[in-house]
Amino acid sequence: MESEVKPSKVVDARNTFCPGPLMELIKAYKAAKTDDIISLYSTDSGTKRDAPAWIKKSGNELVGVYDREGYFEIVMKKTK
Amino acid sequence: MPTKILVLGDGAAGTIISNKLRYLIRKENAEITVIGNSKYHYFKPDGIHIPLGMKDYQTSVKKPDYLFNYGIDYIKDTVTKIDVENRKVDVSSGREYTYDYLIIATGDRLVTDEFQNFDSEAHHFYSLEASLELGKELSKFNGGKIVVGPSSIPYQCPPAPYEFTFQLDRYLRRRGIRDKTELHYTFPLNRVFTMENVSERVQDLFDEKDIEYHTMFNLESIDADSKKLVSLEGDELDYDLLILVPPHKGQQVITDSGLADEQGYIDVDRHKLSYGNYDNVFVIGDATNLPISKAGATAHFESEYLAGKIASEVSGFVSEEFYDGSVACTTVTGDERAFTLYFSYERPPRAMYQSKLDFLLKWTSADTYFSAMLRGVM
Repeated sequence: MESEVKPSKVVDARNTFCPGPLMELIKAYKAAKTDDIISLYSTDSGTKRDAPAWIKKSGNELVGVYDREGYFEIVMKKTK
Repeated sequence: MPTKILVLGDGAAGTIISNKLRYLIRKENAEITVIGNSKYHYFKPDGIHIPLGMKDYQTSVKKPDYLFNYGIDYIKDTVTKIDVENRKVDVSSGREYTYDYLIIATGDRLVTDEFQNFDSEAHHFYSLEASLELGKELSKFNGGKIVVGPSSIPYQCPPAPYEFTFQLDRYLRRRGIRDKTELHYTFPLNRVFTMENVSERVQDLFDEKDIEYHTMFNLESIDADSKKLVSLEGDELDYDLLILVPPHKGQQVITDSGLADEQGYIDVDRHKLSYGNYDNVFVIGDATNLPISKAGATAHFESEYLAGKIASEVSGFVSEEFYDGSVACTTVTGDERAFTLYFSYERPPRAMYQSKLDFLLKWTSADTYFSAMLRGVM
């Protein structure tokens, strides 16, 4: 399934463990502006669970979680 | 004509790569020049021991002038402009340096003014001065609520906050004031550390030692009047003594030279460590925006690859080497125990075993660092 929105920033955290994909997403979030769309690429299955949980807890919008070839993509919108 | 190799930075990354290159390339084949202005070279991992009175800081500090191998030209100056297009670097004394190879190892800097009230409220152990200051503050502490955690990301050495928390727990017990102290730890993710298997282990130890943890806690502000932290997730946490890893940023010269991302770090190829389309400009250590640990161990592994590659090319060979993201780090878990993690881009960290031997490895690492690792012999 394709994401319908074009990200303002793509964070490629495939094959990384420390600090890891969610830390890279939060780093990009802090540098982003309100309404920016951030796309995270990850190969770590834990991120599929962790990133949406953080996006929800931080009051931002989860646009979608998409399975890609050999990795998955999590797309969020910075709403705060 | 000898090849001109110019290294910017005299911290861990700049010193290791220069010394390794000097080992590998004969003097007549390459001139190696390092530009840096550090007053001293501080072994930062000892920051978890110095404030607690466990180590004399003098064993963790050396003058940079004596850390470069014979045959390296060490210039005490400040880089003001890096012009990769024209292969030249300007310094504050007005001189200009040209190069065949440029290695940017300028590290990062602590920017405590990113948070209002950080300087008046928070202590830390990320510089020698701050570690000594924290030591004085702790010696006056007789009970209350201590909060430890990172204030922002990225930061050097991701395990350092939990390592310090474990050591602090031990310190408080030894002083007989642990029962009068609440010890709290915060972390930005929804677990207590970055890697899941390590996190589970650390969380068990926190439970065992009665250390409270607050996950998904990304600091938004410090309220000095009510002595309270507020997270961007909306949580609040009060404190009597606050110990926070300061925010980090890349060096200003990187931004001024048009090489930086939003946080002052340089985007590099994750396998070649090269910048943009330049096959003679490389970045190592904390200055990169690679999604890997900002740590001396990373700079060490990156230098291993890069020194070999440049040495091959100077000798007229084509190097097929690449950096595979290797990192190794030994992290303290308190009670004179530690474990060592090895991982790379493709290889996740394996299960780890706490041991006294790993702790001794960490405890003596300043000696290993200054005598061998920094000298480029390992």
